[in-house]
Amino acid sequence: MSPSVTGIESFHLWNIATAMAVAAPCALVGTLLVARRLSLLGDAIAHAVLPGIVIAVLAGGRPGGWLTMIGAVAAAIVTASIATAVASNSVGVGEDAATGVGFTTMFALGVILVSVAASRVDLDTACVLYGELELSAFDTVPVAGLEIPRGFITGCLLFAGVGLALCLSWKEQVLAAFDPAAARALGLPVAGLSVALLVGTALTTVAGFDAVGGVLVVTMLVAPAAAAELLVSRLHHVAAVAVAIGMAAGAIGYLAAWRLDTGAAGMIAVVLGAVYAVAALVAPEHGILARALGAVALRWRVAREDFLAAAWRAAEGGTATVPRGWAAWPVARWLAAEGAVGWTPTGWRLTPTGRARAETIVRSHRLWEAWLGRNVDLPLDHLHPPAEWVEHHIGSAVRAILAAEVGDSVADPHGRSIPPESPPPAGRAR
Amino acid sequence: MDGAGGDAMAPVVEFHDVTVAYAGRPVLWHVDLVIRGPALYGIVGPNGAGKSTLLKAALGLVPLAGGRVTFDGGALADSRARVGYVPQRETVDWGFPVNVMDVVLMGTYGRLGWFRRPGRRERDVAGECLRRVGLADLAGRQIGRLSGGQQQRVFLARALAQEAVIYLLDEPMAGVDAGSQELIFGVLDSLRAAGRLVIVVHHDLRSAAGWFDGVALVDMRVVAAGPTAAVLTAENLRRTYAGQPAVLEELARAVAAGGRTP
Repeated sequence: MSPSVTGIESFHLWNIATAMAVAAPCALVGTLLVARRLSLLGDAIAHAVLPGIVIAVLAGGRPGGWLTMIGAVAAAIVTASIATAVASNSVGVGEDAATGVGFTTMFALGVILVSVAASRVDLDTACVLYGELELSAFDTVPVAGLEIPRGFITGCLLFAGVGLALCLSWKEQVLAAFDPAAARALGLPVAGLSVALLVGTALTTVAGFDAVGGVLVVTMLVAPAAAAELLVSRLHHVAAVAVAIGMAAGAIGYLAAWRLDTGAAGMIAVVLGAVYAVAALVAPEHGILARALGAVALRWRVAREDFLAAAWRAAEGGTATVPRGWAAWPVARWLAAEGAVGWTPTGWRLTPTGRARAETIVRSHRLWEAWLGRNVDLPLDHLHPPAEWVEHHIGSAVRAILAAEVGDSVADPHGRSIPPESPPPAGRAR
Repeated sequence: MDGAGGDAMAPVVEFHDVTVAYAGRPVLWHVDLVIRGPALYGIVGPNGAGKSTLLKAALGLVPLAGGRVTFDGGALADSRARVGYVPQRETVDWGFPVNVMDVVLMGTYGRLGWFRRPGRRERDVAGECLRRVGLADLAGRQIGRLSGGQQQRVFLARALAQEAVIYLLDEPMAGVDAGSQELIFGVLDSLRAAGRLVIVVHHDLRSAAGWFDGVALVDMRVVAAGPTAAVLTAENLRRTYAGQPAVLEELARAVAAGGRTP
């Protein structure tokens, strides 16, 4: 096999196109599933459609054909209804348990049907597990003189259908997903919208089933939207990013599998998992990296503010210097670059701007102690430690409230004077 | 009872012999209540008294075991656009990927109907509603990053954007800071001044006395209803908060279990 992508045989290109065409509608449906916190319903449906597909194939349908689609939708709806009915009749079973048991039972039923009927139908358990993406280019239908793979056509039609349905009912779907009670009060058919989502999930599952198998299709449904939701924060953006992620993962996963000579389905799922992991790492707000950076930034700010406050307190005590440890050195250098401290023969000394910043910190600290001492009946030795970290989080508005409530006392509970409010710093310092 | 009552435009909600049951267990018995607007009207009672259920029953969100509810003398289906509902804040997932403006625009969906997207006019209305609840600066913020009071104000702005005539609010002051509570009550008061009927499920008796024109004290049934000063008497409050009537409790349990009371 040629190692270069340019030397790729055309059937590989068709297989990649099919993977992308199947991934796109899966990602669209998955966006709503994930937004509704129904990811596990996608999982459940992907399992439950199996007996419907097998029965449809036994009845003469072709895998991925219209008859199997109908069989799959019927199986999904029947199982979902049974699960809901069991849960709402409160037989002492939660809906999650009902779903968990119901859908795995359906899947098991499908597996048994496959093995019993293996001699008569074009289905086997390997196909159920992994799909047959690698062979999809060879199952073609003639369209306008071209031999086009069926899987590709199915994926494109589904993408168009699901996309159109979502465009037409987008705001209703969003409202029903976000706030079903308000949606029902407005007269929206919330139950109907849920059934439509169920049908969409079942249809895309069948398409994905052929390509990557009944187990891994769950990843195609859920992972793109789950990753996208970490990266962007409005649902239509989530949908667009999810489709892009799904299609990219389809292509990259297939190519990687081809280069490593392994199964495409598994590799696509692994790529999707990796995309999710990366999204969790780099997500702008709740990402691991963003939080770590935020924590570092906070510690750095606290270190500088503590240095300024220590210098100010030292001056208040009359020594006019601060202790210089090796750990304080980078902090002091940084503050010097900011113009907050200057080096003198006796040590670091606050500049006027540095003094104003320090007074703000100390004022926050002592106002907080004074306020606590007045409003919460605490012994004196309980006041200082919390004020040590609270001082870094008090802004000017809250300081004003505290000052008003302690009635402009000039001293904190330890008897030390509270410095006056400095004018807000002009420009850069924060 | 006729819904007109003098001014033909005045909004009115009528509960006629409404009984509600959850999973076969009655939680509200024979509620007869006529609430006429313009007014700021409180539904007050202890936890588990069925206050929220009363609103949900009016909106058809829970089935009635008996009786009927009318809006301006007609069925709810004929006046959905005139009725704005604010559910309890905890009933939605605030991690949902929408921003503040998206949520407020949802208030205009009923008027827009299917297949039409919110346009310039809807955005203007939503922006104005956000200004009224003091959140004009936060239009682009993800709703999960709001405080509890701000989330409640977003819900109120969404209801305002609906430009309804009758408002039903479920515990809009729950988990809300004092400043937000003051602001929300102020907005509701201005709705009343504009001729609307505002019905609020509320738990705090002190603020109830200050803001509401009328109050219904509810504890599995309506204990008393009418002008606030006449209803909030020591005797009525004792009867409302004395604990649920043992007979109703026993009966509800027996009905749910398909058995018989001792």
